[in-house]
Amino acid sequence: MKLKYNLSEDRIRQLKMERDEKLYYAIPYDIGENGRWIDDGMCVVTSENVAAFEGDRLVEKLPIKMCCRTRAEAAVGAGMLVTEYGALENKDEKTSEQRDAAHTVTEKLIVRYSAKHRTRFAYIARGINILSGGRTEEVVSKEYESVCEICGRIIPGTKECPYCNKKGGFWHDFLGMLAPYKKSVGGIVCLMIMAAVVTLLNPEIQKHLVDDVLTKTNGDIKKALWCIAGMFMLGGGIVVINVLKSYYCTVLGARIAADKRDTLFKVIQGLPLTYINDRRPGELMNRVVNDTRVIKDFMSNTFCNLFTVSFIFVWDVIFMVMLNPKLALFSFISVPLAVWGTLTFRESIHRRFHLQGKKDDDISSNLQDVLSGIRVVKTYGKEQKERQRFNRFADEYCRVAFRNERFWAIFNPTLRFIMGFGIFLVVLLGGMDVLNERMSAGELLQFVTYTTLLYQYLEWMTGMPRDLTRLVASMERINDVLIQEPFIGEEEKPDRHEIKGDIEFRHATFGYKSYQPVLEDINLKVKQGEMIGIVGPSGAGKSTLINLLMRLYEIDDGEIFVDDIPIRNIESRHYHEQLGVVLQETFLFTGTILSNIRFAKPDATYEEVINAAKLANAHDFISAMPDGYNTYVGEKGSTLSGGERQRIAIARAILKNPRMLILDEATSSLDTESEFLIQQALERLIKGKTTFAIAHRLSTLKNADRLLVIDGHRIAEIGSHEELMEKRGIYYGLVKAQMG
Amino acid sequence: MSKEMINVEAERPMATDTDKSKTINSGNAVFTKTEGGFIGMELDGKKYDRVKVIRLFPFTDPDKYMSVRDVMDGDKEIGIIEDIKELPEETVKILLEQQELYYFTPVITKVISIKDEYGYAYFDVETDKGRCKFTINMGADAVSKLSDTRLLITDVDGNRFEIANVLDFTVKEQRKLDLFL
Repeated sequence: MKLKYNLSEDRIRQLKMERDEKLYYAIPYDIGENGRWIDDGMCVVTSENVAAFEGDRLVEKLPIKMCCRTRAEAAVGAGMLVTEYGALENKDEKTSEQRDAAHTVTEKLIVRYSAKHRTRFAYIARGINILSGGRTEEVVSKEYESVCEICGRIIPGTKECPYCNKKGGFWHDFLGMLAPYKKSVGGIVCLMIMAAVVTLLNPEIQKHLVDDVLTKTNGDIKKALWCIAGMFMLGGGIVVINVLKSYYCTVLGARIAADKRDTLFKVIQGLPLTYINDRRPGELMNRVVNDTRVIKDFMSNTFCNLFTVSFIFVWDVIFMVMLNPKLALFSFISVPLAVWGTLTFRESIHRRFHLQGKKDDDISSNLQDVLSGIRVVKTYGKEQKERQRFNRFADEYCRVAFRNERFWAIFNPTLRFIMGFGIFLVVLLGGMDVLNERMSAGELLQFVTYTTLLYQYLEWMTGMPRDLTRLVASMERINDVLIQEPFIGEEEKPDRHEIKGDIEFRHATFGYKSYQPVLEDINLKVKQGEMIGIVGPSGAGKSTLINLLMRLYEIDDGEIFVDDIPIRNIESRHYHEQLGVVLQETFLFTGTILSNIRFAKPDATYEEVINAAKLANAHDFISAMPDGYNTYVGEKGSTLSGGERQRIAIARAILKNPRMLILDEATSSLDTESEFLIQQALERLIKGKTTFAIAHRLSTLKNADRLLVIDGHRIAEIGSHEELMEKRGIYYGLVKAQMG
Repeated sequence: MSKEMINVEAERPMATDTDKSKTINSGNAVFTKTEGGFIGMELDGKKYDRVKVIRLFPFTDPDKYMSVRDVMDGDKEIGIIEDIKELPEETVKILLEQQELYYFTPVITKVISIKDEYGYAYFDVETDKGRCKFTINMGADAVSKLSDTRLLITDVDGNRFEIANVLDFTVKEQRKLDLFL
């Protein structure tokens, strides 16, 4: 994401930069001082100043040293860059009490921007804070732009706009994709050309039949038979060629798609988690499933006819001009009309049926809503009202569907008629030529056939650009994944470190979206073997803290140390291998209990598995099942209770013998009996290992050495149970609330 | 729509005091505009450097029931203004100005063109805040109906646009919007 836009000479002059003043950032903003849209706002940050321009007018210039704490504040549908403006005597003392006492700072609005620039301003705010703190690093954004600067289109999650990116170009990529399949592509191209030749040859024979046999008074039956035999063979030939062509194209398409899918899957597995997490869930799945399907469809539907149609089209036109230039001109006259008609009609149809689809969705989602909430509807006696609502949606759909069908029924034949209009003209004028003996009847027939062919393929040709763009976008999305470097965010030579268990968070700041921090400035030191309980309201960042520790995300600012080694210097696969994780929702893979327990250590002996299950209090219930450890679980397997699944997950963690444990609400939503069993199992597991445990039920944290209360994106309280109870803060409130 | 609201308001589920909210009126509070462009408040003698005023019913009753929150203390609620009209004129002016700053929802007054292409619709419109172009994702729920004729459109970036009454548009404009109604 671009953080340094170009500045005009005039603006630079107005900044009156000192000699060693350096330009850091320049980014646009779009809401003016009067609260209206502007398109020429620019916020500029140099090593000395923060400035804002509206057009060429300098509207704000603040010394950066006075901007104590700058942030991109979210508003509804917009955002503002706000700073605590003023001189702080000691910049390290930034607690609110001291600020209040000093009263030298005021909150100051620098600029306002719409949500479009929100992400950029989050980076700028961070950049300003670094500079005002006396450091000189420049913040760089690795995020992709979401809108193409050139064409203004939305970029479909790739680095470059697929419509404007001409580097190498589409044909380069496309041919590159076909390169490994040279032989079959060559065969298909041959078939395509054969199909075109045969199609074009047929009218030529028809001409001979008419001219040399039918219109002659003494027609030769032998010649007629030859012609008919020729036509029959060509007719049969085209069927064979087309079948072969379609067959090979489909096979090729399926093979390319399968190969792409394979490579994609391989690459995705090696991708850094940050890349996967940056994308919406399902997006990568779409790339593997849908985008490869687009390629397959293109190969079997469009590519299959690509050369045939283009070839026929070109020669068709050439033959027509050669046969009768005047007539050709006349039949071309209605071509633009037909193209225009087809495009408008298609667009209109697309809009109409899209609308119909939307109405259909409305019905489904309404139905889904009511059916899943049927108990609420019934208990509140609202059946009548819901029925009326549903009727309204259904009527609406009916109205739209009726209108669309009528439109289709009227306009489709009309359009075909208009498109066939050229033929009438050709027959009329050509017929006159034949009567005046300027043209033979056979030639007219040939010409008419060519004209029909021309219009027949016209419709196909107008659909080409759409198919091509769809293919380009899909290829772009696939290539975007393929060019990713695996495991970024890891140092060059990562350390294969054996975790001892000393953990330190130093000024750790992180947000899933860059403009919205979830954790701010977390500082925490944990000694080896300590158990840390994490409590706090939902959404405060408990799970996020753990995600950072599990290295599922890269932190934005600050550093996490494991045994005094920065976490990013540790080889991540090796790091993950040493973690034991038990989550609230236990995920069991489709397979047997044995394979699930062995997941982390596939070569574990039966003995080890049984031992782990015993420690996890799982052995007894597993033994009681008819298939024992070979019991099939997962999507279609036998159903285990939440507590049983949980204990299998614990067995899985125990078997791995992890060096550090992470428990995320491992015992919530279980009955007391299984909670006791699990608690017991966990205690065995935890012994001597650094443990982080999140829990809502505070009783489960009674063994914790220290408790960490997270609130408002920060560590609000930290200490042992007794210390926190004495403090009578948030934790005290929580305990009181749970005791009732 | 609701996602945005939750983000912005950052409600604190931990607040344990569920007492009735304190009412803020002309009798107990004085609002002042701060140097930095925000508002401060003095309530029963207590000074707040910067407060945020949030609409509780932004669509159905924007000028009633406003929650006043202390920005310096994690947006904790100080109290509620029941009806802005009961406050002195000068205060109303300051508050409305602040609302303009906090709520940016341009109202579309004229549809110049809508082009849909590959799942996105590109709008070019005239709004009460000036002309602008924006893009919506047609796959997502970009258009929500506040009533049968009132629409809220959320673009790909999260900007919000309001159509106060669809019927105020010309037939031609309505046809362009048809796809989203």
